Amino acid sequence: MARPRRPVKGRAGGESSSCGRAMSPVQMKVLPQAVLQSPGEHPKFIEQPLCPPLEFARIHLIKDKDAIDDYLAKNIKGVSTQEAAAYRNSYEKNICIDMLRRGYHKSFSELLTLIQKWNAFREAAGPGSAIWHEKSLEEQPDKLDQLSHFLTGAEAARRAGHYEKVYDNQLSLACCFSDPEDKWLSNYFYEQSYNTAQLVEIDGGKRKAQAYVNMGLIEEEEGHITKAAEHFETFYELTEGTSWKDETGCTYTSLACQHLWRIYTLLADKMLENKQHHEAIKLLIKALKMAKEGGDIKMHGEAAYCLSLAYHFSGENETALAVLNTSVEIFTSLCDSAGLGRAYAAVAKILASQGKSSEAVKYLGEFMKDAESAHLSQSLVDANVLLGKVHNERGNYNEALEYFSQASEAAKALNNLPLVAETESYCGIAKAHQLMVPFNSHVAAAADPLSLQCLLAWKQNRSDMCTDPLPAEPGKETSDSKPL
Amino acid sequence: MAGQPRCELCGARAAPLRCPGCRLTYYCDVSHQKTDWVSIHSQICHLLSPVLRPQRCFHSEKDRKDGKEQLLRKQESLIAVALCRAQGFLWAGQPLEAIPAALQALRSSSRLLGPASLRLLPIYLLLAEASTGAGRPRQAAKYLSQAQWIVLQSPDCSAALQSKLHRGLGLFSIAEGNLEQALYHLANDVYLATAEFGLNSVEVSGGYFHMANIFFHQNKMDAANSLYTEVSSLWHAWLLSSLHGHQRALQARAEASPFSEEEEGSEDGTTEAQRERGARMLGAVLELREQGPLQHPGETAQILHSLAIIHYLGQDLAKSIHRAGNSCIHAVLDFGESWDGGGDGGGCCRVRLPLALHCRANIAKINPKNSTRTHLPPSPIFPLPAGIQAKGEEPVTMD
Repeated sequence: MARPRRPVKGRAGGESSSCGRAMSPVQMKVLPQAVLQSPGEHPKFIEQPLCPPLEFARIHLIKDKDAIDDYLAKNIKGVSTQEAAAYRNSYEKNICIDMLRRGYHKSFSELLTLIQKWNAFREAAGPGSAIWHEKSLEEQPDKLDQLSHFLTGAEAARRAGHYEKVYDNQLSLACCFSDPEDKWLSNYFYEQSYNTAQLVEIDGGKRKAQAYVNMGLIEEEEGHITKAAEHFETFYELTEGTSWKDETGCTYTSLACQHLWRIYTLLADKMLENKQHHEAIKLLIKALKMAKEGGDIKMHGEAAYCLSLAYHFSGENETALAVLNTSVEIFTSLCDSAGLGRAYAAVAKILASQGKSSEAVKYLGEFMKDAESAHLSQSLVDANVLLGKVHNERGNYNEALEYFSQASEAAKALNNLPLVAETESYCGIAKAHQLMVPFNSHVAAAADPLSLQCLLAWKQNRSDMCTDPLPAEPGKETSDSKPL
Repeated sequence: MAGQPRCELCGARAAPLRCPGCRLTYYCDVSHQKTDWVSIHSQICHLLSPVLRPQRCFHSEKDRKDGKEQLLRKQESLIAVALCRAQGFLWAGQPLEAIPAALQALRSSSRLLGPASLRLLPIYLLLAEASTGAGRPRQAAKYLSQAQWIVLQSPDCSAALQSKLHRGLGLFSIAEGNLEQALYHLANDVYLATAEFGLNSVEVSGGYFHMANIFFHQNKMDAANSLYTEVSSLWHAWLLSSLHGHQRALQARAEASPFSEEEEGSEDGTTEAQRERGARMLGAVLELREQGPLQHPGETAQILHSLAIIHYLGQDLAKSIHRAGNSCIHAVLDFGESWDGGGDGGGCCRVRLPLALHCRANIAKINPKNSTRTHLPPSPIFPLPAGIQAKGEEPVTMD
């Protein structure tokens, strides 16, 4: 049965669906959102252990007559009073009693509190909300298994004074609940593990560092960017000079750099929104430093790109162009068409705003050549579109149309339907502009019978200006009627 | 009732002796009559005849109704007296004396309410406890089976009663030496009590306490310690809130006109039974804590403070002052230790010491005749760290 899922917040994107974790809900307003490739996903610090289900408590889940007979055949001694009671009880009750008889009363009260919290959420949301249709925690035996296993593990470790084991158990729980509807549970255990991590002393601060990055990500998800930045900074300080690596082989330091870069960029975006250009530039320089230190070249390119945009907004176009150059170089070496497209678009925009459109054309020509030689079809489309736009703005509609139709051809070759549609609408715009010139001249000279005749003829067939002195092209105005 | 009279105590058919007072109860010999007299009959001899004798025939509808109500009231009070008496003997550690009284309560109740009433459950459990204490496990098992049967018969039985049943079963298993079974029943008890009263209620503490005893016996010290701590903190929190309720009530009474003095004592939310249970449980934990190799002065102070509140609420002021004084000493001990060690425990002790002093000051306020200073146990012998005295005396005005 398909369960209705809560919609995942954030921009639509393919790469996020695998992890199921909601992306950072903080939307950028000024800088392009596409810059932040990596969503705020919790790093993988531990191998997720699986806990075995409780055989005893599962009895009651056997609802099928044959299965009961089978169970009885295996246990010839018959059913004891306790087993009979277990069969009658709910799974939640069995789990609780099992924990209690082993003496884990704190785990018991924590589990009950969590169940009550869930129910309170549900009551607060009211019927009709997404959470209303979801199963209560009590009715999900697998989750209860995980909870009881790790909670009791944590309690036993706490009694023995092994806080690092308490932390590990709590972190395992946080990692267990990866579905979006269990977000609150996962956050709750991240917070618990954060509190525990402050007491761990034997591992040189490794677990503390993990706790800080996890808390930072939670704060970021809730939109508290400044707090998140503080946590990430502490994480960075704790990991400096260590060689710790997470399960995917990524060092903690590079993780720290990555998160700090992202959070600084987000903060800078907020400032740009409030027109605090100077502070934003300062922050973006910090972000650039982090990106460099993190060792991820792509991140470096993106950071440079963002910084150049900030310079551009504050009017320092020369600096912006200089920074953009590094970004372009990096993206060229990476063959990153998306980045290249954005960087060149920024270059063209800056040059155009300075009135140096011929320079822009030259620059974009280089881009096109590079794209051709590197066989980056996407970039080829981008280059053509950008060139077309520059020409369009300068009033060279013929050139514009040419570049746009080239872009459309390249897009068709890519077999990318949205892109084809986009480029063809550019073609249509250019063509309309092209048609405007003779039309206006005819209207201006309406006293001339020839012009009038031309207008009337055009009104009749709507194809082209028949006696146009300019070279007329057969074709239609709208792009959507073209066969794709 | 009809036919040959049966012995009130053992149920034997040959019962030649009759109580000269009520002329309603029969015994097979003097020893049985004596036992019954000591246990309960001396209290209810005069109450029996209006209940058991054939009722007068009334002429009007109204009189019949009144007569019925009166009879009902008398029966209820008979049950209450018998139960109270049985419980008292049990608490005093005389299970043998408790049995006849409990049996009397059982007979009267089943006469009044029928044999399957849920109200018989506590009486059966009491009987089982008394029989276990008196060394009659087979009797106890029989009573427990009866109790279980009553619960099985009524599917709408409340979780509170079910929890009581499981506690009875658990205690019986302990007496039998089947500790695993006992843990199972006590776990059920805790679960059901939580479902009925909530996580942080004192009703849950009973199950925890007995579980802790089992773990203690099995030498699983960490589990036992954790549970004991839970028990004492549950009681402490509950008693503190009761104390505040009591003080509010006192204040309200002081503000209201001095002529309205009807309700006495019960508005603080504690009953004598609750206080008794708390005092017994906390006393046991305290004893263990004082004997144990590990000293927990902070927790000991908490327990002593709880005990002081219990005695205070029970109007037992002398004991209360004594406990409060001890609590002070322990708090200071704890405080002093953490003062030397510089550990993290200082924070909670800094709270606890004022608490104890606060309690002492309250007693002084209520009872101006007794100067608290004279009743205090000898003050701590060791030198206090500088600054504590001043710090300690001030928070008395914290309310």
